[in-house]
Amino acid sequence: MPERDLVKTGIAGLDEILNGGIPRGNVILVEGAIGAGKTTMGVEFVYRGASQFNEPGIIVLFEVSPHKLFRDALQFGWNLEQMERQNRLKIVFTTRDVLRQELQQADSVLLGEASKIGARRIFVDGVSRLIGSNGTSEARSGFHVLSEGLQRENLTAVLALEASASNGNHSGVSMPEESIADTVIRLKMEDAQRAVSRSIEIVKSRGQSFQMGRHTFQIVDGQGLQVYRRVQAPRKEDRERAAAFDPKTRIPTGIPGLDELVNGGYFLGSTTVVAGISGVGKSVMAVQYIAEGARRGERSLMFSLDEQVPQILRNAASLEIDLETPVKNGIVRLEYEPPQEIEVDVHFHHIEELVRRFQPKRVVFDSLSTYGSALGTKGRVFRDFFHALIALMKEHQAAAVYNHENPDMLGMGSMMGEFAMSSLVDNIILMNWIELGDAFRLGITVAKMRANPVDRVTHECEIAGGVGMRVLPRTLPAPKHPFSAYAGLVSRAPVRRSRREERLEDGERDQ
Amino acid sequence: MSDLPSINARTQKEIQRLLAQSPLIAGACELDLLVFFYRHPRSLLTNEQLAVLVGYDTKEIAQAIESFIEGGLLERTQNAMHAARLYVLLLEPPQNGGLKLLLALASTHQGRAEIFQALVPGRPSAGSDPGQAQRKLRFIA
Repeated sequence: MPERDLVKTGIAGLDEILNGGIPRGNVILVEGAIGAGKTTMGVEFVYRGASQFNEPGIIVLFEVSPHKLFRDALQFGWNLEQMERQNRLKIVFTTRDVLRQELQQADSVLLGEASKIGARRIFVDGVSRLIGSNGTSEARSGFHVLSEGLQRENLTAVLALEASASNGNHSGVSMPEESIADTVIRLKMEDAQRAVSRSIEIVKSRGQSFQMGRHTFQIVDGQGLQVYRRVQAPRKEDRERAAAFDPKTRIPTGIPGLDELVNGGYFLGSTTVVAGISGVGKSVMAVQYIAEGARRGERSLMFSLDEQVPQILRNAASLEIDLETPVKNGIVRLEYEPPQEIEVDVHFHHIEELVRRFQPKRVVFDSLSTYGSALGTKGRVFRDFFHALIALMKEHQAAAVYNHENPDMLGMGSMMGEFAMSSLVDNIILMNWIELGDAFRLGITVAKMRANPVDRVTHECEIAGGVGMRVLPRTLPAPKHPFSAYAGLVSRAPVRRSRREERLEDGERDQ
Repeated sequence: MSDLPSINARTQKEIQRLLAQSPLIAGACELDLLVFFYRHPRSLLTNEQLAVLVGYDTKEIAQAIESFIEGGLLERTQNAMHAARLYVLLLEPPQNGGLKLLLALASTHQGRAEIFQALVPGRPSAGSDPGQAQRKLRFIA
């Protein structure tokens, strides 16, 4: 297969979802409502070409004064004026009438200017009125003329089209411009409750594959656009290989007495959920898990949506666990992100980057329930996020622990409540209050441990100041009676039958 | 004139010095046209479009353009088949430092008013009436 000539946009994250770039010579329609980011994207496309890929470019403006564009571009660190002086870029101010005539002329002054600097890219800001009203035959032919003129020069062109109708709910009816353009990129401002987030979607792109769906993007001061791939866990060979457990290495929990219940510790790359009501000690367990990692010289990472870093450090100190020193030494990283306006693609990108750079052996997420309330448990957003997290941790062989607040105070109706994702999880540890007399005591049960024996015995544990959590030794042997010694098994409230009852039942059976 | 802000004597002196270095600015039309080119240093437009955008008569605009081209301030790409011309403002040479400063000053309401005040005595131009020029300000992009 011949090597493909792809034009890299140079826009952070965009080439990744375009699987490398856009075929050279494509006419790219960027559509979106006012304020969606079309101009910034088009200008960055030309700027990156000129500054990073030695591809000079032309920017054509109709309404924005180039002087203002120079000023605004400086906010992103793009010195367009300097690039103009270096003949790597030209900004031409014109009218739509002139441009339409220009592109129909073989000796176009505009294209002549492009040729003088060896331009390979062009951005035309605001083609809507240039090509007539959207959806009309006039628009179709106008756009066709524009597209032909640009292709004649083999310019890769970004054309910004203001499409207020496509904001929010796209009608589903294609505009003629969309069918003529080679690549269509749709920018949107999406309502998320009272907040607004930006999304980008590659609707089509001739001559290439790309990553479909709506991805998130931000406009970042001092940088420009930053595109974040939609959270997903694409199948990768190395990820799948990594998912096969290393059967020897164990990651101890750091909770005295718990390692015996989990066969010496968690596997590398495994997923553990600790479920229990608020206040039961999940965060304490998490801090001890991280501290144990630090003690063993293993890089450990904790993501918290519930407690800010100083609070985590203070709570650890109250258990006489020093997390400040390993944080300073760089072996432990504590990260906090407020959950109120979490943008899932941005958040996942942050986690992904951190895991790639820091390469932790232990990771804690505190907590899944807060992710659930931030992202919603209905629909695919949370599910895709959790799938992607699990895949990422397996790929990097991190033993990840996810705290989950189970709403049941006494007993548990289900292991993961409305999340209904326990099948994805390798290990589940249930923590319960047990009412004995007039006091709540704390019980811990290892309910699931994939590829390991598990006895599902509930043990008592305690949290003591200066000690942390520990599982108390069991003094009574576990009952060994068969199911036949009990009544009420199906109701899940069994009562042991008396010997007399057993004898009577046996006698009746004999008769 | 009464609504014009009071002019700082020192600024006025500086403006007169800058104007003396920029003899091509004979009146309001030249100033406004140059400010337009300062903001749009590479423009592909017809003279009629320029006249509408800057807010002056086409003839005045054409005269000002010719004087700028003769003075080496402006470059024009000609093509007999096209009504539109590509105009490129040439402000790079060091001798135009003063003009650049003047145009930056003229890009503000206050600065423009001060320059007009300095332009009026002894600088004949069809568009030199500052009141008229102020009215035309709205046309400038």
